[in-house]
Amino acid sequence: MTDALTAERIGLVWLRAALEPVGAFGRRLDETIAPYGPGDEARALEEIAGVVARARALDRDGVARLRAALRAVPEPSPIFARARAGDPLADVDFYELGRFVDGLAALARAWDAAGGAPERRPPTLGALEAALAPGRENGGFYLVDAFAEALPAARAALAAAEAELDARREAIAQRVRATTGVDPVGDEFVVLREVYDGPLPDGVRIVRDAPTYRTAALELSSGARDAAFARMSEAEEQARRALAERIAVEAARANDALRALGELDRELARVAFAQRWGSCVPVLAADGVRFEEAVFAPLADALSERGRRYTPLSLDLQGVAVLTGPNMGGKSAALATAGFLCACVALGVPPPAREAALPLLESIAWIGGDGPQDRARLLSSYAAEIVRGRETLAQASPRGLILIDEFARTTGPREGRALLIAFVEALRARGALALVATHFDGIAETAEVAHLRIAGLREGALGEVSPNDLDAALDAINRAMDYRVVDARDGAARSDALALATLLGFDSAAVARARELFDD
Amino acid sequence: MVVVGTAKHAGKTTAFNALRAVARRRGVAIAVTSMGRDGEPFDALDTEPKPRVRLAAGTLVALPAGLVPRSPALALLDRGDESALGTMMFARAVSVTTCEIGGPPTTRAMRATIDRLRSLGEGPVLVDGAIDRIAPLAGGDDAIVLATGAASGATVDRVAGAAAEVVARLRIPGRNPAVERARMVRITGALDARGAEALLAGSHDVTVVVEDPTRVAVRGALFAQLQASLDLRCERPLHVVACTTCPVGRGAALPARALVEAVARATGLPAFDVVADLTAPRE
Repeated sequence: MTDALTAERIGLVWLRAALEPVGAFGRRLDETIAPYGPGDEARALEEIAGVVARARALDRDGVARLRAALRAVPEPSPIFARARAGDPLADVDFYELGRFVDGLAALARAWDAAGGAPERRPPTLGALEAALAPGRENGGFYLVDAFAEALPAARAALAAAEAELDARREAIAQRVRATTGVDPVGDEFVVLREVYDGPLPDGVRIVRDAPTYRTAALELSSGARDAAFARMSEAEEQARRALAERIAVEAARANDALRALGELDRELARVAFAQRWGSCVPVLAADGVRFEEAVFAPLADALSERGRRYTPLSLDLQGVAVLTGPNMGGKSAALATAGFLCACVALGVPPPAREAALPLLESIAWIGGDGPQDRARLLSSYAAEIVRGRETLAQASPRGLILIDEFARTTGPREGRALLIAFVEALRARGALALVATHFDGIAETAEVAHLRIAGLREGALGEVSPNDLDAALDAINRAMDYRVVDARDGAARSDALALATLLGFDSAAVARARELFDD
Repeated sequence: MVVVGTAKHAGKTTAFNALRAVARRRGVAIAVTSMGRDGEPFDALDTEPKPRVRLAAGTLVALPAGLVPRSPALALLDRGDESALGTMMFARAVSVTTCEIGGPPTTRAMRATIDRLRSLGEGPVLVDGAIDRIAPLAGGDDAIVLATGAASGATVDRVAGAAAEVVARLRIPGRNPAVERARMVRITGALDARGAEALLAGSHDVTVVVEDPTRVAVRGALFAQLQASLDLRCERPLHVVACTTCPVGRGAALPARALVEAVARATGLPAFDVVADLTAPRE
């Protein structure tokens, strides 16, 4: 849908991170779903409307708790896959399946507590829970005797054999203590010849015979114990096989449940986004990009972290339009917002706007500046723009959105302006949907396309600010700037560059001289 | 209680098993884990035979999922951090179990593992430790037992000397404003040989404070000089409480009684030969 530069500039990277599902099942599902494109309007609208409805029905804390509950559900797919294939399962697998069952139950409780609709309640797996139940206590798992008929007798026989072995061990140890004075705490011990140099008692064999000591070991091999252990091991494996077979039967239902969890995970990520940034059900129309009071969420998020306010934007773009206006007036933000909102609907996300009419696109392209791919190709900013422009023009169509930010600003202004006019004319000729931000004069008029402008600084609204206080200057600009996108025919276009330079603390004499030159 | 060794085959796991055997004999329910992979029949590096870990019924154990034995089944109670051999599992032996044990890879996870074992059971936690992984014990109330033996020296004196140096390093005292010197130098990170030389070149009327004893990377004569000349302290001390000795190793056999007595004398700690049942009290 986009390249890396575009994804970064229109906030798609940020958006994808904001929509990241919390569970592995959600991430897996997400990877299989392609963005909506032209022709997918009905499906996209259904998803977006569903998200908006859920965002209104569920409270924000409830959604946060649901997502936390989803995050806590472990990923059991590999265990089910092994069970289906007939591979032996281990007790740790049964323990993890128990956690899965508990996670589903906790999620269902969180759903009820959040006021979720009963018909959409997340699934629970009663049969799986029942299969594991005998071995479960306080969230743990033990392969209890109830899992196989042969298990109780086999375990009792091993316990008896171990007890017999322990008694034999203690009897030999007692003889060693009585004979040598050495207390053998393990199965091996050392007797110094200076302590005892006589014969060792029955049940002890010499492992090492050195001039000053002897290392000896208790003779504890027991055929009966080994046989009992083998029978008990086989009984435990039988129990595991039987339980694994029951789990394999549940695998299909578990897969359905995981699919449902994935869908819920994907939807809750969108619901949380809609609750955080506001949302609307857009009109999905192919004839332009229109939105009222839209939020470019990545910028709003960054501003909010710095305690600053974001001013929502409105735009009506049909065909190709040129956008002019002051520095720091939000031209790039307007371009990014248009791309961001189109990306939102492509991903089934309600656009954060009061209302919107947006197209489902085949592509979004950003031209302006250079990205990592361009730097990797050792392209200068100008070369990167030209190459990107060439590629975009070759593919331009009404089904793509082209966002051009100060094209050719790094070359000579006369040639740059001429090139931009020609570029805009070519886009218009191809019926492209494009928004072109520039400081060059007369582009729209010459290329015969719509001309929009940022309203700019309100007259007399810029107060005095200490030149060294950048934060105060930015706040003052924010207060004084009228960020509305208006028809350029209403009022004169200004760049406000000199006023802004003054406010940002540029050398006052230099600014005064610049004003003289400008007025001349 | 954590058992660490001065060298490979210093009798660490043997001492660890002896502590467990004594606990069992006294009816003390314990929990066990390891700071590395232990309990396998042969050493992974040099294929020397190693003692298996035999868990009495009721013993709590923390071990990676990949080392949970199939038989006899353990009662799995909880899960912890990830390790190279799978998620750390907390379990209880329902019947006598012989198995390998292992631990988590990070100091933070090791601390969490020990704390979780303490909360799951009522008895002490025994850890088959590693001398280079004891940082999580600093500042806690864990006791350290140092296993040493013929594997770390060819003569009784060399083994005792090596043990004394390790003990001196691990027992760097904690802060005590009442006796500290007027000037203090706080070392962030490791105190290495270059840092030690710089300190020795300056005024000796100084208290040098490291975060914990494991941050001291200086060995041998340089460490001895440092300790003799400066007031070396740490924010979070370790508690070394005893040594064990193993007279056999590296194909050599040392006199067991002389060794245990020499180690007690050199370290100032009680020393035990748990295999020969010898004790040398603190001197």
